[in-house]
Amino acid sequence: MFLRLVADSFTRRPKRKMLTLAALALGMAVATAALSVSLDVGDRLAQEFRSLGANLLVTPEADSLPLEIGGVDYRPANAGAYLPEADLGKLKTIFWRHNIKAFAPILEAQVKASPFSEYSLSDSPSWPAFTVIGTWVNHEVKIPDGTTYVTGIEKTNPWWQLKEGRWFREGGNECVIGKNLAAAMGTRLGELPGSGGVVAKDKLKPGSTLFTYTLNGHLGPKLDVVGVLDTGGPEDNAIVVPLDIAQSLAGKPGEYRRLYVSALTKPEDAFGRKDPKSMTPAEFDRWYCSPYVSAIALQIGQELKGTDVRVIRRVAEGEGTILTRVRTLLWLVTFAALAAAALAVGASAAASVLERRTEIGLMKALGAGSGLVGVLLAAEQLLVAFVGGGIGYAVGILLARLLGEKIFGFTPEPKLFLLFIVLVLASFITLLGSAYPLRRASQYDPAPILRGE
Amino acid sequence: MGNSPMFWRIVRRLITANYGRLFVILLALGAGAAITSALLNLQIDAKRRLTTEFRALGANVIVVPRDANATSGGTLDQTVIAGLPAENAGKPVPAVAFLYVIGEVAKAGEIHYQAAVIAGTEGQGLTQVRPGRRTEYSAELEKDPAACEAGAKAAGQFKVHTGDSLHLRNQGREATCNVFAVVATGGAEDTQIFTKLATAQTLAELPGRISLVQLSVTGTPDSIDRFIKALSKRLPGADVHGIKQLAEAEGKLYNRISGLLTATVIIVLLLTSLCVMAGMSNVAIERKNDVGLMKAIGGSVRRVVRLFLAEAIVMGIVGGLIGSAFGILGSIWLGKTVFGVAAEPRWIVYPVSVGITIIVSIASAFPLRRLASIRPASVFRGEA
Repeated sequence: MFLRLVADSFTRRPKRKMLTLAALALGMAVATAALSVSLDVGDRLAQEFRSLGANLLVTPEADSLPLEIGGVDYRPANAGAYLPEADLGKLKTIFWRHNIKAFAPILEAQVKASPFSEYSLSDSPSWPAFTVIGTWVNHEVKIPDGTTYVTGIEKTNPWWQLKEGRWFREGGNECVIGKNLAAAMGTRLGELPGSGGVVAKDKLKPGSTLFTYTLNGHLGPKLDVVGVLDTGGPEDNAIVVPLDIAQSLAGKPGEYRRLYVSALTKPEDAFGRKDPKSMTPAEFDRWYCSPYVSAIALQIGQELKGTDVRVIRRVAEGEGTILTRVRTLLWLVTFAALAAAALAVGASAAASVLERRTEIGLMKALGAGSGLVGVLLAAEQLLVAFVGGGIGYAVGILLARLLGEKIFGFTPEPKLFLLFIVLVLASFITLLGSAYPLRRASQYDPAPILRGE
Repeated sequence: MGNSPMFWRIVRRLITANYGRLFVILLALGAGAAITSALLNLQIDAKRRLTTEFRALGANVIVVPRDANATSGGTLDQTVIAGLPAENAGKPVPAVAFLYVIGEVAKAGEIHYQAAVIAGTEGQGLTQVRPGRRTEYSAELEKDPAACEAGAKAAGQFKVHTGDSLHLRNQGREATCNVFAVVATGGAEDTQIFTKLATAQTLAELPGRISLVQLSVTGTPDSIDRFIKALSKRLPGADVHGIKQLAEAEGKLYNRISGLLTATVIIVLLLTSLCVMAGMSNVAIERKNDVGLMKAIGGSVRRVVRLFLAEAIVMGIVGGLIGSAFGILGSIWLGKTVFGVAAEPRWIVYPVSVGITIIVSIASAFPLRRLASIRPASVFRGEA
């Protein structure tokens, strides 16, 4: 009989119930969409922030001071310390190895280069030396556990983009040339003895060949230009080559000087900023096992011996501040949305009880106690809450999907525990919204209601 | 409608007849209005503030000599600093001129000199264009006319701390400076010594010259582009460009975050309005008896609908005015929580959100139009 009464109230006035249901479903859709965006956005944005480039810099520990201006190290090749390239695979063995998104070693060398014969350079002291930057592009690194990992400068520094051509392939004598150098070298060619005084108007472009000549008088490899690089930085005036070519030009086989690491990190909070030396062992464990940029720096330092791992502050801190703000902002929007949905749904639930005064009066006149009337109406409301919550969850997930695809170009995984949260929330809100009118209803005197007063 | 006082009297009675219903309606409309105004206000404010937050990344625009490249090392005339705009998008633009010299440095009293990059700086906001942490700092010593700052790595190499002195020399020219801070940036700056511009100019024997100017320009990606174009025109001898690393990432992130915010706000507002509307319609259907009675005593359908519309508008105005006020107050507080600075209330938001609430309220009364088909007799007989 109880169930029949509940079922009957749905079939008798479907339109009415539909509206309550719609209000609930919409409210819960807001909740689901906002919650799933907020839950996902931190990770997604952290990924996006990697477009700012590396946030960790590894240099030799015992080193003379680099004479670096605008990204170019002016130390001669024989000054300062170097690091072994062979160790780099160990980066993917640290505790937070999956958070290491990319890394690329750098070795610079100075070289004379021209598109004419290499011999012409030795007669031309006025021809300037150029910076050669050796690095990895799409490089396969061997990891000590037997696997390999592909990484390179195009991942650590995503703003290094090619204007023309393609990146060099490792193993071949190929190079990529900075856009300013490509233009400048063309206009200065006439100064070279081999050119016969002809000024080439053409820029260097993919297809040209560069002859190289090291500063200490050795012939270097003949390089095929395969691309023109645009970074907006000092690399626009340099020749970028595979690391092994730079090593042979600098006379430092198997070594590099700087390593850029791009890691996914958790924004540093007050705890993350604490000095690990002043922590208790328990605190240290917690810190070590959190992907704070400083913890990752420490772990890299433990793997790569003799290095000094520094946090690139402008990237790490800028990222931290902005991420924290955006995340808080979205949580607040979510809670505001939840509050508004709750109020509107509660109001709707209250209205649906208010309008049933006659029915309640009749039931009481027929001998139903206040408790039974309350339970009956609550059961009805709960049923509405479950159905509405379920529909709302489905709509919300669809919206969150749409949002994720539009903005981040990816689809967030539907989270089942959100369904649970949404159902609990829906039941709670409807019951809360109905509570006051139900209390009033239980105090109704049936007689005046039945008389229509 | 010749009988205006009567019309409004009925409206008044409609509204005040049932306080429970009145409360429910105002609650739903007010909640909708509050969230509308709070989100709109916060959204306008957050986008603007986001551009300010990006400045935590440091300098994003750089002025270099036209022929500057790694090998020729050209310089600019110092007078360009005077010609730089002081602000963009209402925010000051920190600008610092640098002159780099590779010289030799030693701690005062020691004879072992080492090569290091000495960066002479002049201008407002060195800490803004060069973000990092000062691990040591003394405001007292900063006032010293010969004050200088050491990068963390350089400080370690020369074993200096705040209060120590450094000897600088370059091809026979010498200078002394007193360290007032040690700065860690994680970049090349860690290995440099930052002195007054004049000191570096003396050491390099380049009076009145600078290597480059770094600026930290606040604004949307478009506004920064316009700033660069305008400045290029003003400084024909120099090459003004955005630092690609930041410009690209900032543009991308700005679009992502503001897109996310806009989309979330639109969806939340849309769903909330619909939710309020559904709840209100639920309340409105209840008016069947009133409509039946009005029609029975001779009210035309137009008249009856107009009565209920008037009621809806009054409710919308009241609910909107109260709710929006709460919403704006709320967003001021939210702004303070997120950005540490209270959000500035935009007064345009107030009428807009009141307007939206009125529209939602009218739209919620829409089901009443269907009541026009109600036959009074069936209502009175209690047939629903």
